[in-house]
Amino acid sequence: MTDDTHVLELLPAYALDCLEEAEARLVAEHLRGCLICRDELKAFQNVASGLALAVPQAQPSADLRLRLMERIRDMGSATSQPARRPFLQRLVPVAGIVGLLLIIGLAVSNIRLWQQLVHLDVLAGPLGMRAIALQNTEAAPDASGIVVIGADGMNGVLVVDHLPPLDSGREYQLWLVRDGDRTSSAVFSVNESGYRGVRIEAPETLLVFSEVEVTIEPAGGSAAPTGEQVLAGSLFNR
Amino acid sequence: MRDLIPDDAALLTLIAQAQTSAFNQLYDRYNRLVFSIAISMLGDRAVAEEATLDVFVQVWRRAGTYRADQGKVSTWLVAITRHHVIDILRWQKARPESHGLGWDEATLQDGLVTRAAEENAELSLQRERVREALSHLPSDQSEVLMLAYFKGHSHSQIAEVLAQPLGTIKTRIRLGMQKLRQLLEEE
Repeated sequence: MTDDTHVLELLPAYALDCLEEAEARLVAEHLRGCLICRDELKAFQNVASGLALAVPQAQPSADLRLRLMERIRDMGSATSQPARRPFLQRLVPVAGIVGLLLIIGLAVSNIRLWQQLVHLDVLAGPLGMRAIALQNTEAAPDASGIVVIGADGMNGVLVVDHLPPLDSGREYQLWLVRDGDRTSSAVFSVNESGYRGVRIEAPETLLVFSEVEVTIEPAGGSAAPTGEQVLAGSLFNR
Repeated sequence: MRDLIPDDAALLTLIAQAQTSAFNQLYDRYNRLVFSIAISMLGDRAVAEEATLDVFVQVWRRAGTYRADQGKVSTWLVAITRHHVIDILRWQKARPESHGLGWDEATLQDGLVTRAAEENAELSLQRERVREALSHLPSDQSEVLMLAYFKGHSHSQIAEVLAQPLGTIKTRIRLGMQKLRQLLEEE
C-alpha cells in the first residue's frame, strides 16, 4: 500500500532504527497523527523484535544473577517517585555526590535560587559544580529542566519539571551532543506532575560534550533522536 | 489449581513494587535472550554480561513505565537491550564486524550454546518460526537486516560497508522486512 499522505514505505526501516536522522524525524512527526501508520509500525516492530530471537542462544555466567542482585540492593528501593515534594527535595537526583552537594549549595543560598536558575543559563555552585538551566520549546512550553555537573564532569544529573506525561509507547530521552553527534544518556518517563530526576550516564567526562537535548521517543528509546525536542541547553558559558 | 504462574506483565507490576522474587522470575525467563542479543552484537563475553546487567537494572528501574498496550514484555526488553548495546558500540566507536556472531553460525565457541531445559516454550517456538522465515529470505536481504538490526547501522552506513548504492540498500531492507512479516503472519 503506497500513499503520499502516509509514510508506509519508511516504516520497515524505522522499526529497525536505520533511517537517517531527517527521515526518522519526518516519520516520528507523521506517526503522532496517523493511526494507520502507527498500526503498521507496530507490526513491523514485532517483526524487528522477532529478529532478536534468531541469534544463536548463549548462556551468561552463573554468577551474573548474584552480581545483578547485589547491584539492585546497592540501588535501594525502586518504588515510583512521590507526587510532590518540597522544592529542595524535588531537586534531589537519583543518586550520587552531586545531589548531596547541590543540597548543601542550595541550603546556604537564597530560597529563590530555583526561580533565578530559570533565568540564568549557567550558575556556578559550590565546589566547582555547574548548574545549567535548560530552555523549553513549543512542544513543552511549561517545562523546565536543570543539569547539574560536578567539577570534574564525571557526575551529572538532570532534573525536569512540568514535562507533559506521555502516552504509552513513548518516553523522554536525554542526549549528549558533541561535534554534532548525539549520544543517548538516559530514557525516562515523568510522574503525574511532570517531574523526574535522572542520573546522566556518559562514556566519559561530561566536559567533552557541548549541549544536552531531551526529545520524545518511542518507549525504550531510539538509537538516534527521532522525535520532538522539548528541552535543550548549552553546557558551557557563552 | 496450578494456574498461578504470573505472566510477564504481572511480573513487571510486581517488580515495580520492588518485589525481588518477581524480578528473579523475569530474569530466569529472559537472561539468555538478553545476553544472546548482547553477545551477538558486541562479540565480547565480558562486555555482553555487563550490558545484560545494565539492561536488567533498567528493567528494575523502569518496570513501572511498561504498558501492556505497548506490546509484549519481550518486545520491550529486546528494544531496551538493542538500544543499550548500540549505545555501547557508539561509545566504543567500533563496529566489531569480525567478532559479532551471525545468524547462520550453527557452531559456536564451546560453552556458548546451550539448551536450557527451563527455556520458555513459547520463546522456543517463536525462535524456530523466525529462523524458518529467515531461511526463506534472499541472502542479500538477510545480510542488510543483520547489519541494521545487530550493528545499529543506518542506511548510508550499510551502503558504505557493502559498497552498494543507497537506493539498493533501502529497497532490500524494505522488501526483506515485508517478506518476513508476510511469512510470520502466515503461521
